[in-house]
Amino acid sequence: MSQTLLLAKDIIKTFRNGEQETCVLKGIDLTLTQGKMIALQGASGSGKSTLLNILGLLMRPTSGELRLLDHALTGLSDGSLSSYRNRHLGFVFQYHNLLPDFTALENVAFPAAAPAGRLTGDIRKRALELLDKVGLSDRSHFLASQLSGGQKQRVAIARSLINNPKLVFADEPTGNLDQDSAKQVMALLRDINRNDNTTFLISTHDNSVAANCDEIVRIIDGKIAN
Amino acid sequence: MPFSLLVSWRYITANRLQTLLLVLGVALSVVVFVFITALINGLNIYLTQETTSKIAHVELDPPSRVARVLVDDSRFVAQPVSTLQRKQIRNWQQVIEIAESTPGVSVISPIVEGNAFLVRGEATQPIAIQGVEPNKVDAITNISRYIIEGSAELTTGGLIIGADLATELGLLIGTPVLLRSERGAERLLPITGIFRIGLANLDQRVGFLSIRAARPLFDLPDGITSLGLKLDNPAEAPTISIMLQNATQLKATPWQEVNKSLQDATDAQGRTGNFIQGFALLAIVISISSALLLSTYRRRAEIGIMRATGISRQFVAIVFILQGVFIGALGAFLGAAAGYQLCVQLASITRPDGSSMLPIAPNEGGYMLVIILTIIGAALAALLPARAASAVDPVEAIQQ
Ligand SMILES: Nc1ncnc2c1ncn2[C@@H]1O[C@H](COP(=O)(O)OP(=O)(O)O)[C@@H](O)[C@H]1O
Ligand SMILES: [Mg+2]
Repeated sequence: MSQTLLLAKDIIKTFRNGEQETCVLKGIDLTLTQGKMIALQGASGSGKSTLLNILGLLMRPTSGELRLLDHALTGLSDGSLSSYRNRHLGFVFQYHNLLPDFTALENVAFPAAAPAGRLTGDIRKRALELLDKVGLSDRSHFLASQLSGGQKQRVAIARSLINNPKLVFADEPTGNLDQDSAKQVMALLRDINRNDNTTFLISTHDNSVAANCDEIVRIIDGKIAN
Repeated sequence: MPFSLLVSWRYITANRLQTLLLVLGVALSVVVFVFITALINGLNIYLTQETTSKIAHVELDPPSRVARVLVDDSRFVAQPVSTLQRKQIRNWQQVIEIAESTPGVSVISPIVEGNAFLVRGEATQPIAIQGVEPNKVDAITNISRYIIEGSAELTTGGLIIGADLATELGLLIGTPVLLRSERGAERLLPITGIFRIGLANLDQRVGFLSIRAARPLFDLPDGITSLGLKLDNPAEAPTISIMLQNATQLKATPWQEVNKSLQDATDAQGRTGNFIQGFALLAIVISISSALLLSTYRRRAEIGIMRATGISRQFVAIVFILQGVFIGALGAFLGAAAGYQLCVQLASITRPDGSSMLPIAPNEGGYMLVIILTIIGAALAALLPARAASAVDPVEAIQQ
């Protein structure tokens, strides 16, 4: 049977800018099951990125409870959250995804090589396999700055998988791409999801992206709409 | 290769022009450091050599002794004492044997010295007579080198005096002059040599005589008044003095004790040098720190990506500290090499007489010190940027 991967209960996030308080998330309850590809839909400014950042342990909620892979994550130190992120979660962002002065291969290997202290042969091999999977094995020695937008996102997807995460967050991964590249990227995510049983949570305001997913979660006025 | 090393090397080679300028800036400061160190050390060596080449490195004198009371009578408020009491070294042959067997001692010169007056007609001038063995006239001060008229030959029984004294009394080579010693003995002596050493008290007040001629003048038929010693290494004078003092029971005085002003001068130069060295290091720290701080700002988004993928703050900090160390090491070695070249070039510029224009010592540029201090300084300079980099918030950096 499918297993619960992530459980969020009553997540509230309030931003404070001096005197002014903005409540962006007003009590989010969410359960993600293993192996699904889930779209997080909502208008621009509705709080999609904020929710992904909280679920991905990049940002702390104002209140609420979070369980990932059956671990309670409230109250862990920054260092522990960082290490947890590194070992169990993957990220694909809209912009600023790669380190421009490093090769495609080094970018993919980075999240494994930095904690290991060395870019070992095993890590290099795994990075090459992933580049092959995203169709870029012939670009492994190109600098990231020499790749096209679509190629960069595919390298970013390969990187998000280097430590074999159960769950990958993608924040508008196609938002910056032309239609063809966007289709290619979505097909790739779908492929990986089917073949490796990796769970994806993909934020988007694009209906065609959402149509490709197993489930759609809508965020309206700071809450999950049913 | 550690991955942090690879990452920091990639960062400093990514922008080659900027790195090159930064390294050149560090190297320039290192050149200043090396130049000033070599100059100050060269100056000290020069001054010390100038001094130690003209004086005894260790002087052995009879131990101080309470003067004999002439009349023991309590009616006198001040009891007359004999100032004519002779202090002399009687067993000096034995002392020479001890000194000869002491390692580090190169030359030993027995001396009969005393005060006297030179009288020529109405004019009288005080003179300090050094009676030395004729074959050791150059042992303590190289008199031959400074002779401007006549010769340094003492066997003929003549007197060698300084140029200033000769002028004051109008003495020329061959002029006979009356010498009246403090013991009241008188002799008519010819002037056989005139020297100019360049030290006022020598050129004005000192005369050389053979030890044989000096003995009757100062009433010392057997004994001597002191022994002058030269050492292989003048810096060892204090330790050798202690050894000789213990072995001979004589008073041994190292040259440093009578030349305190030289020590003061070299100390003052040293402090000036330290000041400039400090500024050179400060310039290195500031330039590296500001360049890396700028780099952490430019690379905020990249640092954010690293942090988002769960790479630790420590890793980010180490990457920036290593960049500082790379830049410091490159600048230090480049600057040390360039500084050495500069010093060699400057030292080879000579005056017409062949002596060096700048008393610079290219081998004394403090190279190890500057390389170590620069690398440590560079690592410290990188601490602030490293802290700033490791504190980057991934969410903020990525959303920019
Ligand atoms: N650091 C912040 N401080 C204040 N307001 C913020 C901050 N981050 C996001 N917001 C606000 O929260 C709301 C949701 O933003 P975001 O999660 O980026 O939305 P989306 O990704 O759906 O476009 C926006 O109104 C935005 O202005
Ligand atoms: Mg967003």
